[in-house]
Amino acid sequence: MKVKIFRWRAVGPLLLLFVIAGILWWLFADTIARRESQKVGTQILGARVEIQKLHLDLRHGKVLIGGLTIASPHEAFKNLLQADELVADIDVVPLTEKKLIINRIAANGLRFGTPRATDGRVAATSGDGIAGRVLAETREWASQFQIPVLQLATGKLSIDSLDPRRLSTIPAATALGARADSSRRAWQTGFDSLHLGPTLDSASAALDRLKRARATDLATINEARQTIDRLKRARDRVTTLDRNVKTGVSQLQAGLAGLDSARQRDYAFARSLLKFPSLDAPEIGAAVFGPGAIKPFERVLYYAQLARRYMPPGLLPRAATGPSRARRAGEDVRFPKERSMPAFLLRSAELSFLLHPASAQPQRYAGRLTGLTSDPALYGRPTAFEASGPQLAAGALANHVRAIPVDTAGASVGGVTLPAFQVPGVPLTLDPGAATTQLGFTLNGDTIRGRFAIRSTNVRWTRDSGFTNSTIGSLIWSAVSGISNLDVEARLSGPLHHPDLAVRSNLDQAIASRLRAVLGEQVAAAEKQIHDRVDALINDKVGPVRARVTEVQNQAQAQIAQQRTRIDELQKGLEQRLRQLLGGVRLP
Amino acid sequence: MFTLIKLIQSLFGALHSEGTEGQLAAGIVLGSFLGLTPLVNLHNAVIFAALVLLNVSFAGGMLGWALFVPFGFLLDPLFDWIGHTLLLDVPALTPLWTSLYNTPIVPLTNFNNTVVLGSFVFALLFAVPLFLLTRWAVVRYRVTVGERVKQSRFYKAITASKAYNVYKMFQP
Repeated sequence: MKVKIFRWRAVGPLLLLFVIAGILWWLFADTIARRESQKVGTQILGARVEIQKLHLDLRHGKVLIGGLTIASPHEAFKNLLQADELVADIDVVPLTEKKLIINRIAANGLRFGTPRATDGRVAATSGDGIAGRVLAETREWASQFQIPVLQLATGKLSIDSLDPRRLSTIPAATALGARADSSRRAWQTGFDSLHLGPTLDSASAALDRLKRARATDLATINEARQTIDRLKRARDRVTTLDRNVKTGVSQLQAGLAGLDSARQRDYAFARSLLKFPSLDAPEIGAAVFGPGAIKPFERVLYYAQLARRYMPPGLLPRAATGPSRARRAGEDVRFPKERSMPAFLLRSAELSFLLHPASAQPQRYAGRLTGLTSDPALYGRPTAFEASGPQLAAGALANHVRAIPVDTAGASVGGVTLPAFQVPGVPLTLDPGAATTQLGFTLNGDTIRGRFAIRSTNVRWTRDSGFTNSTIGSLIWSAVSGISNLDVEARLSGPLHHPDLAVRSNLDQAIASRLRAVLGEQVAAAEKQIHDRVDALINDKVGPVRARVTEVQNQAQAQIAQQRTRIDELQKGLEQRLRQLLGGVRLP
Repeated sequence: MFTLIKLIQSLFGALHSEGTEGQLAAGIVLGSFLGLTPLVNLHNAVIFAALVLLNVSFAGGMLGWALFVPFGFLLDPLFDWIGHTLLLDVPALTPLWTSLYNTPIVPLTNFNNTVVLGSFVFALLFAVPLFLLTRWAVVRYRVTVGERVKQSRFYKAITASKAYNVYKMFQP
């Protein structure tokens, strides 16, 4: 019997099914594309991406997006940007390779930093995906700059508990005690190995015999000479041991000095537990403006690191989190190939946006973004952004074409009304008003360099209501309330994992001198208190060790001196008696 | 509940269909692809078309699909590992993946997703033992308890439902 392979009667229903599926896709393509775009955008940026309307016109290679909102990944109720309309010209053929090539985007009605009703952060709340990891990394990075601030709310300086295990003097003292014991044993062994007892006894006996001998008693005279030679050799051995002991003693002395250094380190460590910064002006600047100044760097670094993850240099296969679905997402691996199209490329975007949209005369700006691609090595040119307009100049370049990526960004925005902020540790609120803000940022491989500056000429100060009766509040208020200029500059430089942050402002000196006047005594008292605590913890250990070291070295030195004196006495006695017997006559 | 009834109908419909045990086993194998791999992928459209067009048990396919969906979820970590190993840890395969990734249409299959590739490879390797095992099990069933089940009131009640008549259209 011939077995039928195909079920021909099912061809019709199957075709019908595919036709229905095609019609459904055609009907819902816009919705599907809109939802997928929202999902992918949200996943990439780590913040909610919302699109009101999306229309695909594949026949003409156009995509129209209306009402785009991208939430801020960092601020809960703020949007990163909103766009009224985006029109994209796309290449249709690369879509068959799942590659999205956008020749040009025209974006109109961009607005930045607008408020939103719901929390649009995704990476910050879930911590998932690449964006979540990058956000966590940059937060961790920024946390290293947290500087202890003055606790002026109570006017007290609090001291954290001091854990003796974290003090370096105690283990150093224990080690030095062990070294002293081992030196004592070594020196005693060395001393015993000199065998001075028999030599000295025989020398003493020889001296007695020589005292009773006459000048003709040649055997006794010769014996005395040999004894003198033995005494000389014994003294040489004692001298060698003495040299060793001196070296050992100097090492023990160095150990004692090391204990003093360790004690100073412990003082410094204990001082770091005090909740106050140094009262030097530069550190005051860091304490007051550091927490605010690090935020712009943290945000730019977030986007730079995100760009490095999504736009890595080179052509190696690279994995990214797969699409979210009921099943496990897995990872999507991309395999870039030389002389082929990148998986994503935006050749050019023309941006038109408004600043101060709420004002009576909003200012219109224009910008241009070129070469945004997932595979910079394939595209061969860096991603560039520039924007300009009244009181604005901004530019950014992400050069991931070569093995070591270089990301730079710079912006200068004038007339931006910055929000008022509570000055950390100081009972004041500072309203910078309309300020000029400048940001410069370079991430070259793993070396970071950045500068952030705010300049304002119409600063307003508000005193915290809770501090109206505070002496400290009054003093600082009197120091800064008359200052209407603000000039803050933060500089960041060094290796990315641990750069140096320097913050200075025109207020540093004024605040520092006031704080020093008010808190100087309190700080000194707290420092004395912490010194006493350290001393109480380590003196019990250090005192006995110091005494033991002294005892060991004294004992060794005394022992050597005593033996040397005895040798010298015997040698001198023998030589004197020989001179008396021989009367200056040298015998062969 | 309806799904459960449909599954039971599928099970008995397939086991007592006029198709050979080979057709039933082949249907289950094709259905296992639908169940084991993430459903919304291009290769599953091809599998579904094969299930409809080839003279295999469609009921068996539905049964295989329903049976292997939970296994798909359970084994996802294994599939992820297999896919990751094949895509990233075997340098000899990189030229193949690179070539496929840059070939039109092929990337639409999502083969470059670790779970999709891992589950597909697993289903492919699992297909032959599954086919042999299923064929043997169907033969054993039919010669042992099959006839008695066919006479039972439960079976008659199941096969009398309308849903059963719909997919009878696709039985081999």
